Amino acid sequence: MLAKVVSFGLKGVDGYKIDIETDVSNGLPHFEIVGLADTAIKEAKERVRSAIKNSAFEYPIKRITVNLAPADMKKEGAVYDLGIAIAILSCNEENGIKNERDFAYLGELSFDGSVKKIKGVLPLLISARNLGYKKFIVPKENLTEASFISGIEVYGVSSLIQTVKFLKGEEELLPVAACKFEDISAKQNYAMDFSHVKGQKMAKRALEIAAAGGHNLLMIGPPGSGKSMLAKCFPTILPDLTFEEALEVTKIHSIAGELDLKQGIVCTRPFRSPHHTASTVSLTGGGPNSKPGEISLAHNGVLFLDEFPEYTRHTIETLRQPLEDGVITVARSNATITYPANFTLIASMNPCPCGNYGSKDRECKCSAAQITKYLSKLSGPIMDRIDIHIEVENVTYDQLKSRNEEESSAQIKQRVDKARAIQLERFKNSKIYSNSKMNAMQTKRYCALDREGEMLLKNAFERLKLSARAHDRLLRVARTIADLEGEANILAKHIAEAISYRSMDRKYF
Amino acid sequence: MNEKQLLIYFLSQFDLAANKVEEILSALGKDFSFSKLCSVKLEKIVSKTAADKILSLASSQYAKTYLENLKELGIGLLCKFDKDYPEKLLPLEESPFFLFYKGDLSLLKMPSIAIVGTRTPSAYGRMVSERFARELAQNGVAIISGLAYGVDSIAHRAALECGGKTVAVLGSGLNNIYPAQHLDLAREIAEEGLLLSEYCPSTSATKYSFPARNRIIAGLSDGVLITEAGLKSGTLYTRDFALDYGREVYAVPGNIDNCKSDLPNEIVCSGQGMGVTSSKAILENMNIDSQQPQKKNLQLSFEEDVVVKLLETGAKDMDELEKKSNLAIGVLKSCLTMLEIRGIISRMPGGLFCLK
Repeated sequence: MLAKVVSFGLKGVDGYKIDIETDVSNGLPHFEIVGLADTAIKEAKERVRSAIKNSAFEYPIKRITVNLAPADMKKEGAVYDLGIAIAILSCNEENGIKNERDFAYLGELSFDGSVKKIKGVLPLLISARNLGYKKFIVPKENLTEASFISGIEVYGVSSLIQTVKFLKGEEELLPVAACKFEDISAKQNYAMDFSHVKGQKMAKRALEIAAAGGHNLLMIGPPGSGKSMLAKCFPTILPDLTFEEALEVTKIHSIAGELDLKQGIVCTRPFRSPHHTASTVSLTGGGPNSKPGEISLAHNGVLFLDEFPEYTRHTIETLRQPLEDGVITVARSNATITYPANFTLIASMNPCPCGNYGSKDRECKCSAAQITKYLSKLSGPIMDRIDIHIEVENVTYDQLKSRNEEESSAQIKQRVDKARAIQLERFKNSKIYSNSKMNAMQTKRYCALDREGEMLLKNAFERLKLSARAHDRLLRVARTIADLEGEANILAKHIAEAISYRSMDRKYF
Repeated sequence: MNEKQLLIYFLSQFDLAANKVEEILSALGKDFSFSKLCSVKLEKIVSKTAADKILSLASSQYAKTYLENLKELGIGLLCKFDKDYPEKLLPLEESPFFLFYKGDLSLLKMPSIAIVGTRTPSAYGRMVSERFARELAQNGVAIISGLAYGVDSIAHRAALECGGKTVAVLGSGLNNIYPAQHLDLAREIAEEGLLLSEYCPSTSATKYSFPARNRIIAGLSDGVLITEAGLKSGTLYTRDFALDYGREVYAVPGNIDNCKSDLPNEIVCSGQGMGVTSSKAILENMNIDSQQPQKKNLQLSFEEDVVVKLLETGAKDMDELEKKSNLAIGVLKSCLTMLEIRGIISRMPGGLFCLK
């Protein structure tokens, strides 16, 4: 007897169809899975047999061969358990399953016959829908994740018995009701808010500009000055995720198994802060099967690298290409996969190894050579990709205890949203969305200066000894500042403010 | 150049102490020739290795090439007998026999103040070092210092920036600038001012060469100004030499709980030197008419005026300025940059701003 059901496998963030072909024939009892299956799939034999047996079905004492087609693609994970079990069961006419081909199956089986949650449901279903499949049976726990995809019927099951009953029409299941993204995302609350950060007006202003123009930002300040807290608040002033963006983010998080299954979709901008001992691969993605790394998990959100110079130089340098292109291609022996990695980089560092250089009240114990060595970890090309540098100062006790009302994230976000709207209008015919991504030609076109601005910039370069590479960065930041004020042209004051965000270019240290 | 000069200059490349050179010269008697040098028992004056080296190289031909090479490097050489040798150094006990130099020797005839201090000044130390150096340099005083990190380099830079003159005395050879980070600064000083060293060009700095060069700094100057230094600082040597040589010691008093101000405060309290709070006092003491650059009638916008008024009461950081000026942070930032570009204020590490 032959049975054939459909399931889906993942390659990067895209799914592809897998036919599970099962042949049950006479011969010595034997169970074989073919089709470049990994260990997890090979072990499905045991799970499937126990699950069938413990669900009170008859396990055929025959020769069973399962083929996962296409046979030349490496397959991994326990996603196919449910499909294999259904295919085996439908080989036996006594079980009375006739419509097994109407559905596609995703799910891992446990020995007692229950169906367990799996990773990557969202990207799998999206690809399946695009391939023209309409009906799916998935683990019940993954149902919320599936509810955001329109145009398909998804049924959630909790056990093998329930699945069979449903197929035979003995039990009625309703397809999951479509969830509206807007309803969920409106309820979203960030744990942090800028109103909790006392003082630090300058830093907040710089973060506002960074959020408005999508600029990368570097904070320099002594330990305990609140750099990490500021960074954690940063996502709260970024524009809301659109549904498309949320899907992109959710796909990656789903593959990595980092998705909150109760919520089913990521509707806040991700904030990733890998520790500085992080390996290069954990940041970029990799491993034998090219898993997504931290920079992809930070897609459409924020990658926060605390103690920036403490990362290995190699790790920092690998950020160069993704910072430029917004994607990272991870090539490994088993797979070459391109993951999106369009994130805002927020980095923070101390001004010197001991952290007190330039402090008003604490003494720095580092030698000049130590400071130079510390700073030399940040190469020119990396600094080239960071538009805004700010110095963050320690907050005094009085500031901490002050009762002054601080501006809330929502208020700042309103201004950011406005500036973003201007940029979307400006770039509607090009492929970019924010000022930070302008290329040289676009910078020339959209960042024209008046005479006063030109003079100021020229003087600034001479007097303040700015490096030449600062020029275009400066113009882009000035453009964003002008956008925040709703000015059509960049004025001298905007340039002047932008110059104040280039402290690392100055001969400061 | 006669053989005598050639012979004396030849000895400059062995980094010998002045008294050793003089001993060798006196051992030669009246006959200054390379052949005589070979017959002198050098081992009795200098170490065996040094003696061997001197003897193996001694020839007028070699000396000529050596001097030519120096010339190619742009390095000049002075010995005690030369008329250009700084007069101020001559009466000193430990005056160097040779001085290598790059730049303009006439600077040594100018009135001069040495500005020295810690390698890691506080914001206050930076500010006063910069201010005194600039104001003195603007009044025609040459600023002498040691090209080290911190106060030294701040003083050199301030003098160069306002078009004044500055002299750097090195603890290493002129072709082996230490610290290497100040190569640019050294190059600039060689062009606009004067670089001096008693060591032969390729000598690298040692622990001992810095206290030694401090005696030259103290000796060359009319007065030594200490802006910020701790009680264990190398600046102590400079102070002691200055007092030995009868140079005026000036000190800028500072906070009593700032350890970087300990030395200047001690100088003021013990009466070893003169406490100064402005460059005017130094200039008066040197009998120089101070010509403070007249406050230009600056065209300031309303916001700029607010900021300048606030800074008149001392250096402030951005948060404080923001609070006291009631200006929007964006306006304040652009305002500060404008003032900085116009050279009215300067900015220090740690985000502090002060009036120039």
